[in-house]
Amino acid sequence: MISRAERAANYAILVVFAAIALFPVIGILITAIQPPGTLTAGFQMPKGVSFANFTQAWDQGHFSTYLRSSAVVTVSVVTLATFLSILSGYAFGTMQFRGSKVLFYVFLLGIMVPEEAFIVPLYYDFRTLHLTDTYLALILPQTAQSVAFGTFWMRAYFRSTPPSLAEAARIDGASTWTALWRILVPNGRPAILTMMVLVFMWTWNEFLLPLVMVSNESLRTAPLGLAFFQGQHVAQFTLLAAGAVIVAAPVVVVYVFLQRHFIRGMLSGAVKG
Amino acid sequence: MATVEYEGVTKRFGSTVAVDDFSLSIGDGEFVVLVGPSGSGKTTALRILAGLESLSEGRVRIDGREVNDVSPKHRDVAMVFQDYALYPQMTVRQNLAFSMRIRKVPAEDIRRRVEETAGMLGLDDLLGRKPRELSGGQRQRVALGRALVREPKVFLMDEPLSNLDAQLRTQTRGEIKRLQQQVGITTVYVTHDQVEAMTMGDRIVVMNRGVIEQIGDPASVYNEPANVFVAGFIGSPPMTFATFSSRSDDGRLRLSRGEAAFEVDGPDVPAEVIVGVRPEHARLWEEDGGGLVGPLQGTVQFAENIGREEFVGVEIAPETRFVVEVAAGDVALGETVRFGFRPDTIHLFDPETRRLLRKA
Repeated sequence: MISRAERAANYAILVVFAAIALFPVIGILITAIQPPGTLTAGFQMPKGVSFANFTQAWDQGHFSTYLRSSAVVTVSVVTLATFLSILSGYAFGTMQFRGSKVLFYVFLLGIMVPEEAFIVPLYYDFRTLHLTDTYLALILPQTAQSVAFGTFWMRAYFRSTPPSLAEAARIDGASTWTALWRILVPNGRPAILTMMVLVFMWTWNEFLLPLVMVSNESLRTAPLGLAFFQGQHVAQFTLLAAGAVIVAAPVVVVYVFLQRHFIRGMLSGAVKG
Repeated sequence: MATVEYEGVTKRFGSTVAVDDFSLSIGDGEFVVLVGPSGSGKTTALRILAGLESLSEGRVRIDGREVNDVSPKHRDVAMVFQDYALYPQMTVRQNLAFSMRIRKVPAEDIRRRVEETAGMLGLDDLLGRKPRELSGGQRQRVALGRALVREPKVFLMDEPLSNLDAQLRTQTRGEIKRLQQQVGITTVYVTHDQVEAMTMGDRIVVMNRGVIEQIGDPASVYNEPANVFVAGFIGSPPMTFATFSSRSDDGRLRLSRGEAAFEVDGPDVPAEVIVGVRPEHARLWEEDGGGLVGPLQGTVQFAENIGREEFVGVEIAPETRFVVEVAAGDVALGETVRFGFRPDTIHLFDPETRRLLRKA
């Protein structure tokens, strides 16, 4: 049992850390609703409330175009990466085949090598293939990176499910393909949704890749829009804050919508079911 | 309904041999139990029949058809797993229906068969529930139902009772046996529990280290164990063994170990033999001998009371003990007692081959 003092101490520590985490977020939110042009670096008492920043940021950040690009890229990456990760995770997690260990480490390289290390050669490769300035230039690399993580993640899920489940399905007349999609995938919904949320978040927030790969205005993604507010000589904090809120909103919505599954998915890895 | 044949089946995992030259013929409608300690290869033998494990050598036939390279779904077998392996996201009804839906059985037939099976197993009220909302015993019945509903050629059961508590296990044991007789489907049942094997099997196959030690009906395996392993594995409490020197004298055989000695009738055996006697065949010595072979004498070292009877360990020579059945409370720890064996219950084993020579 936990004593009262201990419980109080636990809450005190949690409140302190929650405050540290929330402080900048609240700062951005407050800045975003200041009257335009307010000179504030974030943490001052609000001087009134105005939503003018959002409309101005929306236009100035080209968000009507950029958010659409972001949506196209993110939905494609999440869909492709989820499908492929389930397949590769199933293979690595439940089947024995020659070279599976070595191959798995090759997949892991995708998580271990930082993007900065390969983005320049990747740019030249894509230019040779005439793929720069296309959606594919954004979708393919991010799918590859997400599949690296997704394979690692789904393999852990498939290894944690009792093998008898798939075996029972096979004896019941299912092919390995049917057993996967009708038994193991529905059963692994928390793990799969968690993976989808993570991939969604990473893809949505990606900055470097679209910056390098596309110059065509209609293909640029939302995080790039934020750059408009931070020129060499200008720093429009209220607009930047409003833009940041616009860019972050979809991620927050997706997370809130799926958080019940997200937490279960995170726990299912830690605690053996 | 079908026959099953294993012919010289061997399974290797790397350099370890899990099942070694396993041959067994199972008749139509027969209930065969594979029994042995863990690592004896019994589950591997079952999984080979299910098609979940490939075989390294030999042949497996179901109903005369070789199935070595046939996938599980085309073997028409049903299996009950140790952990039940119910589909967690499906209701009981969907669990029972899954195999038929895959085979595209008409919906009306599925409904009828699911309900028949549920009725047979008393699952009618549980059809709408998910596995996690069921007790251990109920899950076990659903797993049985999922196998029964298919009306397969062969039932395979892999320790289906080992996750139940003792009382439920005894009850379900009888239920499975009754259901099997009712539907008459050939069944291969794997267990490490020799009581299950003895009570359920038409025939039992005792396995150890991948090898068949003995095949027979429960009574003959119990009464005529082929070797020391089977004798020690089948029976509870287990048979006790001791090595004795033997000397033949005028049709009588004198067996001795240190001071302890007794005589039995019968022909010659090697100079040394392993003597094995089941506890229930060893009794306290009475004045007139009571028709027992003996007597042997020793001190009581431990006692295990199981209610009406008590099993006591009597040390007749250093490191040599026999377990003797007595009425509860008849003897005390440390007491010196005399006991004997019922005739024709003394097993003599060859110490080299460890095979049964004969009974005396």
